[in-house]
Amino acid sequence: MILPKFEFHEPTSISDACELMARHRGEARLLAGGTDLLVNMKKKVLNPKRLVSLGRIPELTQVERSNGTLWIGAGATVSAIAASAMVARDASALGLGARALGTPLIRNLATIGGNIGSARPAADLPPALIVYGAVLVLRSVAGERRLPIGEFFKGPGLTAAHEDELIAAVVIQVPAGYAGAGYLNLGVRKAQDCNIVNVASYLELDGRAEVIRAARVALGSVGPTPLRSPSAEAVLIGQKPTEALFDLAADAAQRDCMPILDFRGSAEYRRDMVGVLARRTLTMALAEARSRN
Amino acid sequence: MSDYQVINSRLPRLDAPAKATGRAVFIDDMSFPGMLHAALLQSPLPHAHIVRIDTSKAERLPGVKAVITAKDAGLVRYGVSPARYDETVFCHDRVRYVGDEIAAVAAVDAETAEEAVGLIQVDYEELPAVLTIEAAMAEGAPQLHVEFPRNLSAEVHQEFGNAADALKASDLVKTTTFKNKRQDGAFLEPPGCIAVFDLDGRLTLHSSTQAPHYVQRTVAMVLGLPVGKVRVVKPYVGGGFGIKAAANTGELAACLLARKTGKPVKFNYSREQVFMLCRARHQFVHRMTTGVKKDGTLLALQHECYLDGGAYSSFGIATVYYAGSLLGGPYKLPNMKYDGWRVYTNKPTCGAQRGHGGVAARAAWEQQLDMIAEELGMDPIDLRLKNMMQAGDVTCNDLNMSSLGMRECIEAVRNSSDWASKKGRLPKGKGIGMACGFFVSGAGYPIYRSDTYHCTATVKLAEDGGTVQVYSASAEIGQGSDTAFGMIAAETLGVPLDSVRVMSGDTDFGVDLGAYSSRQTLMTGHAVKEAAEAAKRQVLDALAEELKVPAADMDIREGRIVFKNGPVDFSGIRNRYIKEHRGWSDSPQEDFLTFREASRIAYLAKGTIVGTGKYKPPLLGGKFKGAAVGTSPAYGCSAQVVEVDVDLETGRIVIEKMTDAHDCGRAINRTSVEAQMEGSLAMGMGEALFEEVKFDDRGRVINCDLAEYKLVTALDMPPVEAIIVESDEPNGPFGAKEVGEGAIMPTIPAILNAVYDATGLRIHELPLTSERVQAALKAARAKK
Ligand SMILES: Cc1cc2nc3c(=O)[nH]c(=O)nc-3n(C[C@H](O)[C@H](O)[C@H](O)COP(=O)(O)OP(=O)(O)OC[C@H]3O[C@@H](n4cnc5c(N)ncnc54)[C@H](O)[C@@H]3O)c2cc1C
Repeated sequence: MILPKFEFHEPTSISDACELMARHRGEARLLAGGTDLLVNMKKKVLNPKRLVSLGRIPELTQVERSNGTLWIGAGATVSAIAASAMVARDASALGLGARALGTPLIRNLATIGGNIGSARPAADLPPALIVYGAVLVLRSVAGERRLPIGEFFKGPGLTAAHEDELIAAVVIQVPAGYAGAGYLNLGVRKAQDCNIVNVASYLELDGRAEVIRAARVALGSVGPTPLRSPSAEAVLIGQKPTEALFDLAADAAQRDCMPILDFRGSAEYRRDMVGVLARRTLTMALAEARSRN
Repeated sequence: MSDYQVINSRLPRLDAPAKATGRAVFIDDMSFPGMLHAALLQSPLPHAHIVRIDTSKAERLPGVKAVITAKDAGLVRYGVSPARYDETVFCHDRVRYVGDEIAAVAAVDAETAEEAVGLIQVDYEELPAVLTIEAAMAEGAPQLHVEFPRNLSAEVHQEFGNAADALKASDLVKTTTFKNKRQDGAFLEPPGCIAVFDLDGRLTLHSSTQAPHYVQRTVAMVLGLPVGKVRVVKPYVGGGFGIKAAANTGELAACLLARKTGKPVKFNYSREQVFMLCRARHQFVHRMTTGVKKDGTLLALQHECYLDGGAYSSFGIATVYYAGSLLGGPYKLPNMKYDGWRVYTNKPTCGAQRGHGGVAARAAWEQQLDMIAEELGMDPIDLRLKNMMQAGDVTCNDLNMSSLGMRECIEAVRNSSDWASKKGRLPKGKGIGMACGFFVSGAGYPIYRSDTYHCTATVKLAEDGGTVQVYSASAEIGQGSDTAFGMIAAETLGVPLDSVRVMSGDTDFGVDLGAYSSRQTLMTGHAVKEAAEAAKRQVLDALAEELKVPAADMDIREGRIVFKNGPVDFSGIRNRYIKEHRGWSDSPQEDFLTFREASRIAYLAKGTIVGTGKYKPPLLGGKFKGAAVGTSPAYGCSAQVVEVDVDLETGRIVIEKMTDAHDCGRAINRTSVEAQMEGSLAMGMGEALFEEVKFDDRGRVINCDLAEYKLVTALDMPPVEAIIVESDEPNGPFGAKEVGEGAIMPTIPAILNAVYDATGLRIHELPLTSERVQAALKAARAKK
């Protein structure tokens, strides 16, 4: 497999990148780590005339916390996110997703922006970002707009971003006390896998009273995009967290998913595993919520 | 401690510095002035008539130097076994699988060659395809080869003793059916080659191969060249596992294109093409019926096996024989009936892969033995020990266990794994299992019928003295054979390993059948040892004349001459040596006579000192049809214990520990032996848990890359305890025999047996993916 020929641009600021994307609208694609894009180009799935590299834009790689929000630049590598103590403390489920992604070599190149931008239903970072209620900061020559990540994914490889728009950052509201999350993924082997199912859950408790005030469950690999599970969330909200309740929520999550059969796994297995992973991630979320008071 | 000076140690490998620093030259690193690049046109259809091939557009593309089809290549039929030469370089009338080769292009670069391939127009008339064993064997099924009716590439029918009567006399009879999946060799380095014709019409083929000798013969035959005009040279090779043990189309096409263009031509297989080349482990379906007495004595095995062969035969005849014959041991089995069918299907061709033919059979049977042990209320280890053969026993199909450390292997893994305190005592979800196996230490006969030596070796002493050069045509493919032969030569001559240089993998250095059937350590080892002995004898003879001491009273050890009957005055030799090396700063100062001086004196007396060696096994095996397959001068054997943790909800299996003992006769290099054991376990584990080449309904491989074809990663690999057992094989050099393949034999069944211990479920189909295990768990729960 030979990489097809293309023009290569290396802007050094976000605004220059936006300029280039606007000027070459329709023929240019953003290149971050290239771990998704270049593979698809070699396979001739995508054949952009131009690549606009984000690799030399320092402002894209910031990871910082201020005023209760976590700002993660789209160019932050997955290995940086996996190693970040801040992420581990404030968005542990995202850290777990980052550690589950690919191999050390892939993680060193892959970026969070690319993981979102590629819009793969099985990607490791979106479920956690969805349950944390992350907001994407989108930039183009027209300016900046903010979009909840849940509204971003439109189908495999399809997003709500305009052709000339780039993701500049992901913003997460740091969960309050008595809130916690969990993430689990299941593939064939321990590393370097395409997930068969991946699930993130988030629980916010009403202080020591332990009534579930907010709950979010996101399911990966079981639909054209990562999915929220409204039924599971409805089961959980307003209740006391118990094993029996989590079982009910897990059943509800299974009803909300729409897995397909492919060579990686059957629909039935995926549906069963949505239940198992939903229950297990809820248990993780509860343990973390109890520890964050 | 052993009294060896060199072998049986843990000396670092000779190729370690080159590989660690990236200096080792593989085919992809090589290039020649004016070199062209080749690309192959391969069929997109699983089965079709070729109506017309039009290469004119491709020929007109700038940069293209030659386009060849069957018209240029001819229709010389070749393959692996002469009895099944069923391939031609290019298809001319029919394609039989997605990937079947139709044409090749040579161009100034790989991009142009690829583009030109896309410009070749082929009109096909599609034919119905058969993609499974059942479809291929069905009444009225489309036929792949007119000369092999019913799509049968090979069939075997053997009976030793009387299995039916013995089953009738059995107290317990057990029947199970087992299925593995098609494997991919998945070596790190895809095959590749560069063909270079010199101006005298002599061809040198540099190729990533494990069998330079067989490639040389096939290339000569297909191109119509005298064998002496074809030289095959193997650079460093990144693994083979059996797949590179025969000539491939890429090699033949590169040679043809080099002849046509007069330029060196390079061809590299891409990873996708590796899956189409395949030649790896078949899919087998085994149906076995075993009969035992109440006390566990094995009485009979009745065994049927079907192999999904793919479009051509490759090693397949040997495979279908091995699938039966390798169950003759290591247990005393008086009656064995075997019927095997290898079936052509419209898929890439399967061939030989580590544990050739025996791996799935072993898995099926060792799991069945565990089931029998349980029904008899016996510990599975006791059942095995009760039936175990001993050194000197001969199987019902005439395989001679000239050494057999099987009992020692079992005891070693039983003790090291703490079997007694774990078996049957682990919590639900945790399990422990064991299995045994054995394998040939070199095929008893070459692939083509011949009286040829299986290997020759030359040991030459550098004229200046001190350095030993070992030449053989054997194939170092990453397994460490060069180091082993260097160590054997050093041990034999009595010099340290760093006095030895090893050169191999070149057909100009002699005959060697290559790195397959775990043959080189035993066979090439013999040849190297004989060559080194001959060189040593010449040195001692020359010394004897010089010093007037009988050669029998001298020896060479650790680079020094040993005088057995007390000191001898060698000052004359020393003075001569020093005088010849005036100005040199490294004159010998030792108070003993060095090998350096002695070998120099030998050269001065006799000219270049060259010792040659050779080996071929004695006549082996019985007289029945197919008796040759499975014969070997020796058999390696092993036992394994595997501990697993099964997630009862997801079905996910995590292997927590593997304890492996292997009888390699004598470890030439202990670290290399352990590495082969670990590699075998990793490969067996992948086949057991993850690996499967998957096809769509158009015969295309779906998972033709290493992202979707799931090998074991470093993270999946559990701690492995590798225990070396040494039984001192009488037919091996220094008592050595195989480890390269035999060690894979018990891995899959030990895992299957451990999974049963953990879950109470017997699963008879591989791989044991989380999904398959969860489905079985779910079905079992539903039954309750
Ligand atoms: C061997 C291997 C293993 C892998 N394993 C995993 C895994 O376990 N889990 C997983 O989730 N993924 C995995 N991947 C896929 C891939 O590595 C990840 O999705 C990664 O996060 C992509 O990031 P990147 O920076 O490399 O993106 P790129 O390949 O550079 O880009 C991917 C897409 O996103 C777009 N894009 C990039 N940056 C932006 C931006 N700032 N704004 C808008 N669009 C943008 C690009 O235009 C392109 O369409 C694997 C890939 C490989 C090759």
